[in-house]
Amino acid sequence: MTPLQFEALYQAEWDELETLLDRVLGRSGAGRRRDPSEEIPGARVAALYRRACEQLALARARAYPTYIVDRLERLTADGHQVIYRGHEFGFARLKQMLAIEFPRAVRKQWRYVAAASAIFVIPTIAVGLLIYWRPELILAVVSPETAASFEEMYSPGAESIGRVRDASTDWIMFGYYIRNNIGVAFQCFAGGLFAGVGSLFFLAYNGAFGGAVAGYLTERGLSSTFYSFVATHAAFELTAIVLSGAAGLRIGHALLAPGRLTRRQALVEATRESATILYGITAMLVVAAGIEAFWSSARWLAPAVKYSVAAMCWVAVLAYLTMQGRRAG
Amino acid sequence: MVTAETPEGILLELRPAGLSARFYAFALDALIRIAILYAAAIGLLFLGGLGVAILFILTFLLEWFYPVAFELTPSGATPGKKVFGLRVVMDNGLPVTAAASVTRNLLRVADFLPFGYGFAIVSILLRRDCKRLGDIAAGTLVLHEPRKAGRIALDSVPPLAPAAPLTPEDQAALIAFAARAPRLTGERLDELAALAAVVSGDAGRQGPEVTRRVLGVAQWALGRR
Repeated sequence: MTPLQFEALYQAEWDELETLLDRVLGRSGAGRRRDPSEEIPGARVAALYRRACEQLALARARAYPTYIVDRLERLTADGHQVIYRGHEFGFARLKQMLAIEFPRAVRKQWRYVAAASAIFVIPTIAVGLLIYWRPELILAVVSPETAASFEEMYSPGAESIGRVRDASTDWIMFGYYIRNNIGVAFQCFAGGLFAGVGSLFFLAYNGAFGGAVAGYLTERGLSSTFYSFVATHAAFELTAIVLSGAAGLRIGHALLAPGRLTRRQALVEATRESATILYGITAMLVVAAGIEAFWSSARWLAPAVKYSVAAMCWVAVLAYLTMQGRRAG
Repeated sequence: MVTAETPEGILLELRPAGLSARFYAFALDALIRIAILYAAAIGLLFLGGLGVAILFILTFLLEWFYPVAFELTPSGATPGKKVFGLRVVMDNGLPVTAAASVTRNLLRVADFLPFGYGFAIVSILLRRDCKRLGDIAAGTLVLHEPRKAGRIALDSVPPLAPAAPLTPEDQAALIAFAARAPRLTGERLDELAALAAVVSGDAGRQGPEVTRRVLGVAQWALGRR
């Protein structure tokens, strides 16, 4: 069969498949904006796609001209995309993710979560105690102006806690926390790509910094304002940062000790598992930012109220991560 | 060139996009992001505190999720990538999944190091499949959209039977030559045709007449009689 005969024989099929695929993919110029409610005959697309696959194999084997092979390649590539497309959107999927998959993924990686918690908490306590004991060391971490502004933020006279002066409203701080804190968590995760060293660094650094501020403010006698401020949102924020660090460590471990997979396969596998955790921590950090901006900073709430709510939040978060989704499936 | 096998057993040929195309697309996207932010800032700053908050959140979304939102559309490309004919797909040629798109974009942080996307540039330059670190981890590829190849315009040349039987490879080479003919200068066309002149029985000769006869054999190989 000559190329022209081949083309003449199957031209009509290719045109039909092309029009159908353009409609599915929503390409402009496809069928001149036909009625969108019109059904797309799925079985016909699949049948034409399989035929195009056969014809492509023939055209390649017979070394037909480039324009025919190219056209068939485009048709099969588009058809492949349309037919084997995964469906992973929608609210049902989101619910499944938050109600079952996220806590499960966290439990599955409990070793990394434990390691990340240790790497975060040990520097927090060590640096906290060190600065409580020798408060002048805070100047090794931040400049004198910043240290002074910490004191101002948490002084009993401040109108709302955790902010310099009162120029900023709750809403501004909400936006700021989202931008800042989620960024920190994403860094902890991405650092895992460097054999986990980046995650280790960011976890320890953020832990040590938090510890330094806590130790300094406690020594200054501002513990009641400071701890009542951080206790509630810490349940979500610190947990999320530890979890993103844990996901980073998982990736780093996959690179260092890939087991029976190649390093690249191990990396792809680890990243796929971590994606669920990333969705979860993003949600947790949005909640944390909301609490931090609107609840933690409120002056009119008695510390006792804040501590009890904080305790409930911690119990809820830990129970969610350890118990949720155990029965399903 | 990277290939992906479909369940039907054919190999899809994927053309990974190199550094320059990806850089242009990135630069265009950066300009678009700045423009959106600038326009939003002008409007939102009249709203006071709430406006600033929305601006912060918008900055955050543009920073991390601008590429994700566009990669999950049917075109699989940010506006910048679309302009330069690029798209993001999975290693197997399928549309990028939400999880993969999120990971490849969050891992930009790692690609950015030590400065100015240093690791991404080195990785793209060194790898055959032009992946940056985020692409390796998420199992994604950035491709050139396939272009439409033009049809062969040889209608003015009368078909001519070959002087000797031609193998399928010879026929394919002749047809490829004919497809390139409109883009070559007359002299170069004649030189190349002289190399293939044996097919029309003109071995050793060169000139416009020989070229016409060689292209005639190409017409015959295409199936015109």
